[in-house]
Amino acid sequence: MQETVLSIQKLSKNYGRIRAVDNLSLEVQEGNVFGILGPNGSGKTTTLGIVLSVINKNGGNFSWFGKVPGKHDRKQIGAILETPIFYPYISGENNLKIIANIKGCSYETIPEVLKTVELTERRKSKFRTYSLGMKQRLAMAAALLGNPKVLILDEPTNGLDPQGIADIRELIIRIAKRGITIIMASHLLDEVQKICSHVVILDKGKNIYTGKVAEMINASAHIEVGANDMDALEEELRKNENITGFEKDKVIMMVKVKEGYDSAQLNSYLFSKGITLTHLNTRKKSLENYFLELLAEK
Amino acid sequence: MIKLLKIDFQKIRGNKVFWVLTGVYALLIILFFFGIQGFLDDLADEANKKSPIPLPGLSAYSLPDIWHNLVYIAGYFKIFLGVVVIILITNEYSYKTIRQNVISGMSRWDFLASKLMTIGMIALGATLLVFIIGLILGTIHTDSITFGKLFNKTEFLLAYFLETYAFLTFAFLIGVLVKRSGFAIGLLLLYYYIVEPVGRYYLPDEIGAYLPKKAIGSLVDIPNTSIMRLFGVEFQDYISFTDTLVVLGYVALFVGLSYWILKKRDL
Repeated sequence: MQETVLSIQKLSKNYGRIRAVDNLSLEVQEGNVFGILGPNGSGKTTTLGIVLSVINKNGGNFSWFGKVPGKHDRKQIGAILETPIFYPYISGENNLKIIANIKGCSYETIPEVLKTVELTERRKSKFRTYSLGMKQRLAMAAALLGNPKVLILDEPTNGLDPQGIADIRELIIRIAKRGITIIMASHLLDEVQKICSHVVILDKGKNIYTGKVAEMINASAHIEVGANDMDALEEELRKNENITGFEKDKVIMMVKVKEGYDSAQLNSYLFSKGITLTHLNTRKKSLENYFLELLAEK
Repeated sequence: MIKLLKIDFQKIRGNKVFWVLTGVYALLIILFFFGIQGFLDDLADEANKKSPIPLPGLSAYSLPDIWHNLVYIAGYFKIFLGVVVIILITNEYSYKTIRQNVISGMSRWDFLASKLMTIGMIALGATLLVFIIGLILGTIHTDSITFGKLFNKTEFLLAYFLETYAFLTFAFLIGVLVKRSGFAIGLLLLYYYIVEPVGRYYLPDEIGAYLPKKAIGSLVDIPNTSIMRLFGVEFQDYISFTDTLVVLGYVALFVGLSYWILKKRDL
């Protein structure tokens, strides 16, 4: 039986008249790599801030490991909110010692986590001398101290160069394989798709979609087709029962298909009807488009 | 609890600003204490030239009065330590490390307790400094030292500890309240040197005496000198129980308010 790690019920937070989190409910099960996806300002960080007890809620409840939340839960959670936060005038290693003391764990895991994030060589350097990538990695090391049960990451690749992004993602996937529950906020659909098993989509603090990532990606996929005779193309598309909808966009058609039906099948279907495609492309919609769609459905 | 103090010490250890400021404070105190007798002698010489009657010399260093004298003077320098405390707390806000501390598993009370213990250590250090200098100067300048002479009136050291601690919790509260170091230091100085003195001018004495700066400062009154006795002025040469209670009340108030703000606000 899987344990419920985090349970949120009807959580609300107002900043003045703005509802940053609006009646939000969700559950994270043990072993999930749980993505919180949403554009900037959708309430991701606020939600994480509340469950980490640094932001006071206005309504609703949350519980960690099925219990009333307290500081002892947070000691089992490794978390980074927004940017990496450390004492700038203290070395990376000594910053980790401070956190180890707060968490009540021994210094023994420090060399290990430093090695995991490849900062062993620079451990004696002051935090302020680190590059952004190194800061992010140190934050990751801090989050891993004391073998946490849960890891909370907030935009972990924000502002990194492609190499840094790849390193961090690979690291997260490696950590996830150890069976640690991961909760990750991101505004990048692509990132969530690559890393997460489950996802909640937030918009204006509301939960507008929860489910497995694989299902969401399918729901958001579409095929672009184009032909010289657009009218004939439109007619044939209408006849195909595997097509759930389409939409004309200048010289191409955006086609939504049933699960399992792919571009090759669509191509051969249209070819058999005498239509030669001039354009064929499978697209995963940008997050933005997908949002518009989800919102329109509401 | 000791662990919380240790955590705060780890934060302070690499903090150059802290060590420079406390170092300057210690240096100032040492220079001032060792130089004060020369200053008083000059003063007495000047006064004697003009005075029709011979004035008795002043000895700031003789035991056991030295405790009262030094503690009274040291009280004027506590503003320096207030600035240090403000920097310690506002740093946590500007670096956002207070937030990360809580995320990592501190409760807000833990955070406050760690800072209160640090403040306690600062006040203790300041008291020890006075004690050591007093011991050196006192033994040099006092004939026939007895145990009684040495430790009589050391209650002034305890009072000094309380005075410093109370003042530092006040500075801490200001730091928690405004979060930014420059602003907080400005506010502390403004209150200390302008707002309260001006306020006291307009308020009746019975109320003015209970304002924080005055109440904390009154714990140790001006030392009596033979000159003042000559003029019939008599100051309180003991630590009063009521004064102590008032100051303890202020400590509770400042700590309580700090906690309330920490609890109430998002980090």
